[in-house]
Amino acid sequence: MDALSPDELLRKTMALRDQLAPQLPDIDPGDLVLILQSLLRPIGTGRRFFLRKLPSGVHVP
Amino acid sequence: MSPDETFLERLLAALDQVGLEALIVGSTAAVLQGAPVMTQDVDLLVRDTPLVRQKLEKLGEALKAARPAPVSELSSALTILGGELPVDVLFDALPGGLRFASLKSRAVKIPVGERTATVATLADVIASKAAAGRPKDLAQLPILRDTLKIITALEK
Repeated sequence: MDALSPDELLRKTMALRDQLAPQLPDIDPGDLVLILQSLLRPIGTGRRFFLRKLPSGVHVP
Repeated sequence: MSPDETFLERLLAALDQVGLEALIVGSTAAVLQGAPVMTQDVDLLVRDTPLVRQKLEKLGEALKAARPAPVSELSSALTILGGELPVDVLFDALPGGLRFASLKSRAVKIPVGERTATVATLADVIASKAAAGRPKDLAQLPILRDTLKIITALEK
């Protein structure tokens, strides 16, 4: 699955935000954008979602 | 594909190789449905039978990891460590009385590379995390519930 270009991801995210924000006033606007961006980057488009523990004990993507 | 997606594909290939039927549950299931969360491991739900226990031993080998080991004395769950990432194995049910058969009947199929994952629905992930009630589960609930609301709105 091909990832959207950054410009296309931004355009689609903002279009969906404008569509959904009035329907979902209880969702924080920042969270709405975050979730929409995530939904527009499904598995297979290069997503990182595992935190790996370094020998120092710090977890990193 | 990212290293994380490639690991998931390898896990699914290993499950196919050993013939083990497993549902992906927990945070990885939420990620697969678009939730913007991160996790440290993969949670699998399987039926608890002697044959499944044998296949879990082979799964550890297929993942080039250690044999499945108990998570703790207080839990029936097993963990497979020593591979690229930890894989936790839960048996028969999730918190909230969510049984394997009912979760499977609602599960969604999600392609990961050349493989297909069988994944607990986001609603079931939310229900299980709410029932589990651990701080790390409760912390994820707001973003998971908002993700489900947005998916539902997009489907209308």
